[in-house]
Amino acid sequence: MDILMKSLNFKILLILLVISNSTFAQEDIYKKRVERYQAVWQKLIPRYTKFQFAGSMGMLSLGTGWNYGKDHWETDLLFGLVPRNADRHAMATFTLKQNYYPWSVPVGEHFSLEPFSCGMYLNTLLDNDFWVKNPERYPKGYYSFSTKVRIHVFAGQHITLHLKRPRRYNKSISLFYELSSCDLYIISAATNKYLRPKDYLSLSFGLKLQIL
Amino acid sequence: MFLNKLHIIPLLLILSSCDLIDYHPYDGRLSSSTNTDINNKSIKRIEASCKDKDIIRFIMIGDTQRSLDETEDFVEFVNKRNDADFIIHGGDIADFGMKKEYEWTDEILSKLNIPYVAIIGNHDIIGNGDYVYKKMYGDENFSFIAGNTKFVCLNTNAIEFDYSHPVPDFGYIEKELKDERQYSQTIVAMHAPPGSEQFDNNVKTVFHMYIKEFPSLLFCLHAHNHNTSVNDLFGDGILYYGCSNMAKRSYLYYTLTPDGYTYEVIEF
Repeated sequence: MDILMKSLNFKILLILLVISNSTFAQEDIYKKRVERYQAVWQKLIPRYTKFQFAGSMGMLSLGTGWNYGKDHWETDLLFGLVPRNADRHAMATFTLKQNYYPWSVPVGEHFSLEPFSCGMYLNTLLDNDFWVKNPERYPKGYYSFSTKVRIHVFAGQHITLHLKRPRRYNKSISLFYELSSCDLYIISAATNKYLRPKDYLSLSFGLKLQIL
Repeated sequence: MFLNKLHIIPLLLILSSCDLIDYHPYDGRLSSSTNTDINNKSIKRIEASCKDKDIIRFIMIGDTQRSLDETEDFVEFVNKRNDADFIIHGGDIADFGMKKEYEWTDEILSKLNIPYVAIIGNHDIIGNGDYVYKKMYGDENFSFIAGNTKFVCLNTNAIEFDYSHPVPDFGYIEKELKDERQYSQTIVAMHAPPGSEQFDNNVKTVFHMYIKEFPSLLFCLHAHNHNTSVNDLFGDGILYYGCSNMAKRSYLYYTLTPDGYTYEVIEF
């Protein structure tokens, strides 16, 4: 038994030696691989922090996201809070938002204006009382819509302050506002002349702190 | 700098009271101008105006859901005719259970010259609609006395709730049966009639037996089916009248007299 163990230990040592030798020889390749690997993941690091007030997605939403396509595009992930109301508990929401900025106009040395922004967002309530598909207790296809997920469209404007070194903490700060509407508001507005824009439009304000 | 930041708070408060600021379709946050406790306020007006009257005339409407234009025309039509004491809305005020739908509908119905009460419908419950209903209209079961007729209005949308929430609420009906106020006949109104997919049909016969305990049950009223209908549902001569939805531009008009009652289907 003892002899067997000793011979096994020796074999393991031998294998480790061979592996470490070949690793040493391939260090350059490995280094490159790590750099490439990190570069890919680095691209996935969120580039900014965003706050948004109202907009039918919660009273206050906070999240992060990515700019790409020469900064014409932005994708946000936002978590929001709907405060307690009508004797019901507060609710959390999650929003996936896609922004598009066709133009950016420099204004003076420090500012730029995005005169038009548009896009859409999907908002879901993180609450079990709301459903995507009708719960089982209903006859099939009883309600033809989801109470949990809303699709919104919006248009708005941005102004960006580009911060200069050396005292900067962020790369730039943007202020924006948006007018939006969601699927159920649009359906109601389309089928009723009675409704005015103030009834089905939702105004929101936001702040974006660009870090990367 | 710190003070500057504090300035944002009153600004946000002003903004949040603006119509355009919407936190969520199901946030249940009513606009400051929205009417609340509508049923109780209307009941006070109805009971006062109908006191000592021999002839009571009322209108039954239902399912105004997403028919705001038609509801607006209805209000104009009824105000012009000026021939009813009050209106019962048979439920489905909203289509998606959204707070704004409730507000839009009451904004129109509050222009009526006569009071209206609204019964809760199944579309009024989805989302968090039942909480909005409670805030704007009051309890899901309510009753009032017009002249010598008692109106018992009940939540019958059983499928929207689980067993912890009794629908129909027999406890409430029992309490109403013990009502010692003066009245000689009864009308029971609801959104979904017995036999419909919303009703708890395991108890539909029991329900009918129970409401027949009320003094001289005259007839029952319901909405939900989107059609004008008259059915002797239990074969005992108690009629269940169904009113059409608002989109079809028709309503039921009842006249209660000391000798009985008549009704008309009126189109506008």
